[in-house]
Amino acid sequence: MALPKALQNRDFRSTQAGAFSERLIVVSLACCALATVLITIGIIYMLISQSAGFFNSESVTLKGFLTDPEWTALQSKELDHAKFGIMPLLSGTFRVTIIAMIIAMPLGLVTAIYLSEFASSRIRSWLKPTLEIIAGVPTVVLGYFAILVISPSLQLVSDGSFSTFNATSAGIAVGILCLPMICSLSEDAMRAVPRSLREGAYGLGCTPFETSVKVVVPAALSGIISAFLLAFSRAVGETMVVALAAGTLPTMTLNPTQQAQTMTGFIVEMIKSESEYGTVQYYSLYAVAITLFAITFLMTLGGQIIRKRFQESYQ
Amino acid sequence: MSSIPDAIANQDKTYLLEKANRRKRFSLWFYGLCVAIAFVSVIILIVLMISIWSQGSSRLTSDLILNSHSELEIEKSGMWPAIMGSLFVCGTCAAVALPLGVGTAVFLEEFQPTHRVLRLLHGFVQLNISNLAGVPSIVYGLLGLTVFVYMFNIFGQIRVNESAGWEIMGYKNYYQVLTLEPGHVVFVPQTDATVRETSFDEPFQAVDPASGQSFEIAIWTPGTPKPTAPEDRRVTVRAGVRGTTITETSWYYFRLPFDKSFLSGGLTLALVILPVIIIASQESLRGVPSSLREASMGLGATTWQTVRDVSLPAALPGIMTGSILAMGRAIGEAAPILVVMGAAVAKSTGPKHLMDNAVTMPVLIYNWAGRQQDEFKELSAAAIIVLLVILLVMNSTAIYIRQKVQKSQT
Repeated sequence: MALPKALQNRDFRSTQAGAFSERLIVVSLACCALATVLITIGIIYMLISQSAGFFNSESVTLKGFLTDPEWTALQSKELDHAKFGIMPLLSGTFRVTIIAMIIAMPLGLVTAIYLSEFASSRIRSWLKPTLEIIAGVPTVVLGYFAILVISPSLQLVSDGSFSTFNATSAGIAVGILCLPMICSLSEDAMRAVPRSLREGAYGLGCTPFETSVKVVVPAALSGIISAFLLAFSRAVGETMVVALAAGTLPTMTLNPTQQAQTMTGFIVEMIKSESEYGTVQYYSLYAVAITLFAITFLMTLGGQIIRKRFQESYQ
Repeated sequence: MSSIPDAIANQDKTYLLEKANRRKRFSLWFYGLCVAIAFVSVIILIVLMISIWSQGSSRLTSDLILNSHSELEIEKSGMWPAIMGSLFVCGTCAAVALPLGVGTAVFLEEFQPTHRVLRLLHGFVQLNISNLAGVPSIVYGLLGLTVFVYMFNIFGQIRVNESAGWEIMGYKNYYQVLTLEPGHVVFVPQTDATVRETSFDEPFQAVDPASGQSFEIAIWTPGTPKPTAPEDRRVTVRAGVRGTTITETSWYYFRLPFDKSFLSGGLTLALVILPVIIIASQESLRGVPSSLREASMGLGATTWQTVRDVSLPAALPGIMTGSILAMGRAIGEAAPILVVMGAAVAKSTGPKHLMDNAVTMPVLIYNWAGRQQDEFKELSAAAIIVLLVILLVMNSTAIYIRQKVQKSQT
């Protein structure tokens, strides 16, 4: 049988051109991928080079930054009186975050257990979208909800011992924000637990409670912990809720009824004050941001490592 | 012979039964608790919607959509510039993030390298993307502030009446000169951009700002008879009159650094949602059965031809769903926009040129929500309703696409 014309003539030029354009496309796609690496490098370079402007200033020392119990970058206009100690901002951030986690962790986990173990497919089909809607609500809306509903109801319940802006109302709103995230990530982890484990537990006479809490949850623990860590880092980095509801005063207490300026809240206030480019106050933005970035980065990385390393694989 | 062991045969039956019943009861309670807690999220959503609706529904008027923010007439404040601003910012964001994100996803999923070093690089990029997804959006905001707004101060800083950075195209500088007719100005084309102010003693050519026509301007020295006819006064200026620089910009006006422009905002948002788009597209591409790819390869198609004609079309619905959801996040994102473009909301139109500032909906909501006046709080709730309706439309489109695809696949 005769070969096709194209092969008879050995006309392979088009193939060569094709190979060239193929290579061109691969290179350009690789450039897209490298752009993401560039973003990371950009973030790290930006944070380090700009916060160098802060730490090189004479009125700031690294020790003071880490230990000073006052942060008055916005309150005192003169540099000599300004105190730069990150502790109050950290304390505010963790007050809000811990309240958020107290709300989101149990609610999210139990909802996830319900969704993966008990819920019928009809309930799933509308409970899941509800959670997705909550996850899709813009954070500024939740911040508005915190000052419109949560804070007044807290004041009502506690007879006014909560101030208008307080860590608790912001924390509850951030918790609402983290709930769908914890729920969907833990549910994914629990659904990945094979059916045979559950059947084994039921076969040994376990009740549904014992099966889900003593068999399925431990089997999915790596996924659940990584969900907690990711939600924690999300709560630490959350901005609009705390900018609206947590107040603007950096305080260093454990009292959740008081104002609590967080790191992100400070960044927003600093931007709003439109401080001059290049001043120490301006550079303090980056010192706060690098702290924030370090915390969230470690959390995210830890979450990923736990998920990868401690994942039980069932083959 | 197998008999029942003593330990089991002699057990206390009533005790065992009681214990089993207790465990069953406990399990039932736990089930009830699960149901109750699962419905907490539903209740939260309902309370959220009702409280915002009751606060904002009275302000849902045409004023809200058509007007702009006003400090004086709070009653008539609206969000038209914010809607336009959000549109422009998110348009920029989509134009940058979609090709970049889908390209990265295709590279990571379809072009698996065989060399060891390259594979390591591949894994690094993958890890990097999941880390980028965890970076708080406000840090991206600061990145945008440093890289797009100030550009590390390489090109100088933009200050009112002093410097405008490196202007590249789409601008024309004029001296603005007052004529003898009160309130009438003419423009004089500028030759040397470094001279920001000048004075005129000789007759010169000028342009009418309205019509763009060029004509000769006469000089009137005080002491000589002043022209009286309006058409003469319009082409005559006092000797030694000062001309200050005014810049006319076309829509493609471009300069470095970008300053607080909607372009900076859009690019920053693109950085924020890039990881989301990449991860969604990757998942979608992973869902394409490899038998399709193998068939295409077996027919002699190259990898790129396979991607272009087989994998991408098959993964397109998933990519679209993920992209729409990511854009929904971009529309609602306030923190990076606030950092990059500032918190000012006093703007009466949408952006006019590439370097124009803009207000977006979430920033406007934030600004209004933080004010003391109750009117602004209600307006904020009304603006939230508008924003949520837009998001709802987008999300239901995404869900519709997803369900249609699921149906066609089964």
